[in-house]
Amino acid sequence: MNFGLFGLDSATLAGTLEARLAAARRAGFVHVMISASDVVNHPAGIDTAIESIRASGLRVTGLEALRDFEGLTGKMHEYKVDVAKSMLELCARIGGRILVTHASTSAHADSSLEHVARDLAKLAFLAMPLDIRIALKGFPWSRTVRGFSGATEVLAIANCQNLGLAVDSFDIITAGTPLDELDLVPRDQIFLAQLSDFMVQEIRLPGERDVTARHFRVFPGEGAHGDALVALITRLEDNGYSGDYSFDVYNSDYLEMPADVIAGRGRIAADWLGEMVLRRTLEVPNMKRLHAAG
Amino acid sequence: MSLNSLEREAVAEAPNPLGMDGIEFVEFATSKPQVLGALLEAMGFRQVARHRSREVTLFRQGTMNLVVNAQPVDLPRIGRPAAQSSISAIGIRVRDAQAAIDRAVELGAWAAPPRARAMELNIPAMHGVGDSLIYFIDRHDEFSIYSIDFLPIPDVDPKPPAIAGLAYFGVVQYVGFGRSGDWIEFYRRLFGFSPVPDTVRFGIMPKGVLLRSPCGKFWLQLVEPEGNAQFAPSDEHLNRVGLGTPDVMAAVRTLQKRGIDFIATSLVHTSERGALTVASAGGVMFELVHANAP
Repeated sequence: MNFGLFGLDSATLAGTLEARLAAARRAGFVHVMISASDVVNHPAGIDTAIESIRASGLRVTGLEALRDFEGLTGKMHEYKVDVAKSMLELCARIGGRILVTHASTSAHADSSLEHVARDLAKLAFLAMPLDIRIALKGFPWSRTVRGFSGATEVLAIANCQNLGLAVDSFDIITAGTPLDELDLVPRDQIFLAQLSDFMVQEIRLPGERDVTARHFRVFPGEGAHGDALVALITRLEDNGYSGDYSFDVYNSDYLEMPADVIAGRGRIAADWLGEMVLRRTLEVPNMKRLHAAG
Repeated sequence: MSLNSLEREAVAEAPNPLGMDGIEFVEFATSKPQVLGALLEAMGFRQVARHRSREVTLFRQGTMNLVVNAQPVDLPRIGRPAAQSSISAIGIRVRDAQAAIDRAVELGAWAAPPRARAMELNIPAMHGVGDSLIYFIDRHDEFSIYSIDFLPIPDVDPKPPAIAGLAYFGVVQYVGFGRSGDWIEFYRRLFGFSPVPDTVRFGIMPKGVLLRSPCGKFWLQLVEPEGNAQFAPSDEHLNRVGLGTPDVMAAVRTLQKRGIDFIATSLVHTSERGALTVASAGGVMFELVHANAP
């Protein structure tokens, strides 16, 4: 079954970095999304954090998240380039191949298409020698990249093969984005799919989305939007998506529960999606190696 | 749109955006400078100058400058064992070195910190593949960059002739599996290198993608791992220097008399098209390629 396609997000679990990695591993996950703060805030230092990640046996889905990078000028731009370089180096050191980059919400960001595309191309160029791909995450409230049509336009102008999109089910469902918009994105330009559900049926009040996004996400199958999630994954797969799925579940309650319990809930979600939803052909172990040898 | 961005757009479209004009020097980093020096002497290079304050030596043969850097601080920190010698930098001749580094950084290149000390020439540089650097050198036709930092070795011909017309032809870069596209983009955006069709081949090592410099004086060959090597950890680096000669057989005969061994297997062996030296002095190889004199 396709369980291995789904990974946990370290920010979902409570405890030390090592305890969270161990819990993910015990639950059977093979890859995990790492937050930059996991590494730089580690009490024993960055080197220890990197060693823990590398020794965990888990593949790194990616590093998150670079924010408010594009659209700035002068000193603010230079500052953000330094931040980006630092995160790219961190990403490379933990063995990550994807840097999740949130489209800018900064009031200082110039939203002109040319400027945004030029800055994102620069980010992708910075990442290229390190073999890292930039997975850009648009938001309905971003100043620079909102829907898929806007994102596709930016990607086309930037024209970098290591610049693509991260698709987040939460944003799609809460914004009511029609899935047809996914068809606008070339299949090889979606680098990551992040999945989460939430309890309330509909978000009505201003600010409610933000609070829900940060505190009340749950695993797929635990909330009120299972059907929408299934439709999203089915559409992604139909469109030829072949990347990872990562559970970006941010939930304050989960951070007050034992990591093993939460990782176990993640496992149930992965089993459900892997067995009931995904129809992706399983890769025969060592098939690539056999092909190469043959 | 600012004037600055207009300028960037303008240069990006030029076929030779930096005014590239061949290679000024190739630098090797080594912890065994004497062993490498002996190999270079056998290859026809002559030690012509020493750096005023560092363990850096200038070798020359015909039009080729070759720098041997044995400064401990400049040796590669990661990757291959330090006992090996490796190509650590390429110096590229450009119209305006400062403009070149500015444009490169604007595109998203990683600028390298200056190595110059007081009274030394500061040559702008950026990071290339692996641990290697790319230097930008201008005014190469007006004065020598070596005359400031290097002291000539007395009683040595400062311009020793080349064996069989040997001259820099290109560099072979090993890239990770599936990474050729990234590196083609890297060299295209930075310098205006362009891939040539597979029907255009030089030498006896036909693998990989061949890139032609915009000045037509230098070639890059990108080689991906094959077979089971593609599952090994990626080690991207500059692997060997290609030397062009109008008469490969004559060059090989002379070099053999000087103690250079050439690979002679059923797959790789000397021919009029080219030849490959046996690795020596900690992994250093030279490839001879048939090329008409520039």
